[in-house]
Amino acid sequence: MNATARLATVASRPERVGLGVMLALSIGAIALGAGWVEGPSAAVVAGAMLASVVGLVLVAFVGGLETRRALAPYGLLKPGILWLSLFFLAPLWSMVVMSLSSKESRFDFFPSFTWEWGNYRTALTDFRPQFLRSFGYAAVATVLTILVGFPLAYVIAFRGGKYRNVLLGLVVVPFFTSYLIRTLAWGNILADEGPVVSFIDSLGLTGVLESLNIMDNGKLLNTPAAVIGGLTYNFLPFMVLPIYVSLEKIDPRLVDAAMDLYSSASAAFRKIVVPLALPGIFAGSLLVFIPAAGDFVNAQFLGNPQTTMIGNSIQDQFLRQLNYPVASAMSFVLMFIITIAVLVYTKFMGTEDLA
Amino acid sequence: MAAKLNRRQFLIRSGMAGAGALSLPALLAACGGDDGGGGNSLFFENWPEYIDSETVALFAKASGVKFKYTDAYNDNNEYFAKVQPLLAKGEKIKADVIAPTFWMASRFVQLGWAQKLPVNKIPNMANLRDDLKGQPWDKDQEYNLPWQTGVAGIAYNVKETGRELGSVEDLFDPAFKGKIGMLTEMRDTMGLVLMGLGKNISQISTFDDAVEAFDKVEKAKNDGQIRAFTGNEYLKPLSAGDFAACVGWSGDVLQLGKDNPNVKFIIPEEGGTSWFDTMIWVTGSENGDAVAKWMDYCYDPVNAARITASVQYMSPVKGVQEELVKLGGEAAALADNPLLFPDEATVARLQSWGALSEEEEAKFDEAFAAITGA
Repeated sequence: MNATARLATVASRPERVGLGVMLALSIGAIALGAGWVEGPSAAVVAGAMLASVVGLVLVAFVGGLETRRALAPYGLLKPGILWLSLFFLAPLWSMVVMSLSSKESRFDFFPSFTWEWGNYRTALTDFRPQFLRSFGYAAVATVLTILVGFPLAYVIAFRGGKYRNVLLGLVVVPFFTSYLIRTLAWGNILADEGPVVSFIDSLGLTGVLESLNIMDNGKLLNTPAAVIGGLTYNFLPFMVLPIYVSLEKIDPRLVDAAMDLYSSASAAFRKIVVPLALPGIFAGSLLVFIPAAGDFVNAQFLGNPQTTMIGNSIQDQFLRQLNYPVASAMSFVLMFIITIAVLVYTKFMGTEDLA
Repeated sequence: MAAKLNRRQFLIRSGMAGAGALSLPALLAACGGDDGGGGNSLFFENWPEYIDSETVALFAKASGVKFKYTDAYNDNNEYFAKVQPLLAKGEKIKADVIAPTFWMASRFVQLGWAQKLPVNKIPNMANLRDDLKGQPWDKDQEYNLPWQTGVAGIAYNVKETGRELGSVEDLFDPAFKGKIGMLTEMRDTMGLVLMGLGKNISQISTFDDAVEAFDKVEKAKNDGQIRAFTGNEYLKPLSAGDFAACVGWSGDVLQLGKDNPNVKFIIPEEGGTSWFDTMIWVTGSENGDAVAKWMDYCYDPVNAARITASVQYMSPVKGVQEELVKLGGEAAALADNPLLFPDEATVARLQSWGALSEEEEAKFDEAFAAITGA
C-alpha cells in the first residue's frame, strides 16, 4: 500500500483520526507540563496543539457532513482534555515521580528518582494523627453543615416566596470577602475577651461547655471546637446551595397528596421531602468534605498545636522542611483516601436510582 | 471624560485590554533581563513594618536610583522555599537585596547564592557595630551587612498575668495554662528555653545538647500550656489578652507598648536570644552600584537614626544614639531606652546561636516541627 492510499484509508475513518490526534496531543500536553520536552521541541508540541485546533475549525467549515459529525465529539472534548492534561495530569505525574524520589542533601532541589517507597511509609506512620484528625474534623463539619444547611435551604425553598433570591443572595454575600479575612475575623469573635466568651460567661454556661469539651479552660479560640466551627462556617454555602436546588424542584403537590392520603406532616417530610433532597445532600457532602479534609487555614488560625490537620503538615513539609518527596507522598495518600471514601460513599448513598 | 462608551467601543476597548493583558507576560519576559535599567535600579525585599515611612522616598530622591521596596519577606523558611527553585537552577530572582536572618543569610552564602558586596563603594561600612563584625560564616564581612538587630525575650500582658515576669520559668507557670504563645522561629523560642535550663546557646552544636529543652516544650504543649505557635502575628492575641505571655521580639513589643501600656517586654534573668537580620546581595543581580549606594545610605547614622526611631530595634550602626538625641522629642527618649541601647549588664545576658551543621539543623527543625504540631 503506498502512502497516498494509506492516507486515503485513514481519512475515510475520521473518528479514528480525531481520537488519535486527541490522545497524542494530551500526551504531548503532559510532556510539556511535566518538563520532558524543553526549548524547541516544546515549541513544536505547543505548535501541534495549536495546529490541531486550527485544523478542527477548518474541518468544521469545509468538511463534509459525515466528517464533521464523526469529528464533533473530539472537537468538543479537546479543550477540556488538553486543559486537564496540562494542568492536572502533568502535575500529578510530577508528584508521583517526586513522591518516589530521595534527596541527597537537605537543600538538594532536584531529588533523584529511586523508587523510594519509604516516603509513603513516613507519610502514613509519622502523620497518622494528622490524617485521622483531618477526616474526623471534616466528617463532623459535614454533618454540622447538613444540620444547619438543610433547614436554611428548606425555609428559602418553601417559605421564601418572592424573597427567595434575596435570601439566597444573603447566604452567598459574606463569601465575597476573602476566606482568610473571614477566618481571622472568627479569631476576634471567639477571643477570650471577645463577645461570645463574655456572653457564655455571663450566662454561667462555661462549666457546661467545658464538660462537653467544647470549651477548654474557659477559652473557645484555639480549641478543636473552634476549628470545626470554622470549617462548618466556611463551607456552609456548598451545602446550602445544592440542597436548595434539590428542594426547589420538589412539587409541593406531592406533599399535599400525601396529606390527602392521611399521612402525618412528619411522615410526608420523611418519605417525600428528604428522599427527594438526597441528591443535594449527597452533592453538598462531597463539596464540603473534600475541601474540609485538606484545609489548613482554619486549623492554623483557630486551632492550637494539638489540632493541626494534614493540610498544615503538607504545607510544613513543602515550605519549611523542604521535604518535597515526603510532602508529595502525603498529598497522594490524602487524595487516595479521599477517593476511596468518595467511592464508598457513592456506593451506599449513590443517587442514580433517585434521579 | 464625560464621553460615554457605546457598546461597540466598549467591546473593542475591552478586547484591546484583554490582548494587552495576554501579551504582558511576554513583554515582562522580554525585559526581564534589564529590570536593572543599567544598574541604577534596586529592589529590596524586607520584612513587614521594618522601615519608616520616609526613607524609601528620601533615598530614591537623594541617589537617583529607581528604588522598589516591598515587605514580602515574611518567614525565613518560606522565603527560602519560594526562591530555591530559581536560585538552584542558576536563574535570578526579582529582588536584588533581601533581608534574611543571620542563620538564613549564612545558608545563602554557603549555597553560593550571595554575591560579594562592593565594599570599597560603601565607606559608611566603617560604622558597623564591632560586635556584629566577622561572623564565622562571613569572617571578612564580604557578604552581609546587618539591617537591624534585636532580642527575643518574654512579652507579657500584665493585665492577664497579674504580676510582673522575670524568668523563662514564668512561661511554664501552670497559672498561665493555655495562655502562652511561642514563636515558630525555632532559634528564638528554643534559645530562650535552653537559657532557662542554664545552657549557653553559642556552645550548642548538636541536637543532643538541646534535647532536654525540646522535651520540656513538648511536655508543655501536651499539657495544654501552649496556646499557639505564631510568626509575626503574635501581637494581636498578646494585646487582646489571649496570650498572657509569649516569646516575642523587642522592637515589636516596644511599638505595641506605645498603644497598649499593659504590654511589656523583658529580657529574662537567665538571658535573651540575640539575633540580627542582614542585607545580602542575591546572585544574578547586576545592580551593584545601586546596592552600594543603598547600603551606604543606611549606614549613615543620620538615616539609620530615622529608621530606628520608627522600627525601634537596635541599630547595627554606630552613632545612632547621638543622632536620636539630635532628633529630639520622642526619638530622643529612645536614646535612653535600655532595650535599644542596653547597658553592659544586659548585654552580658544576651546570647546568640552558633553555627549548626546541615544535618544537625535538620534534626532541630524536624523536632521543632513535631512539637509545633505540623
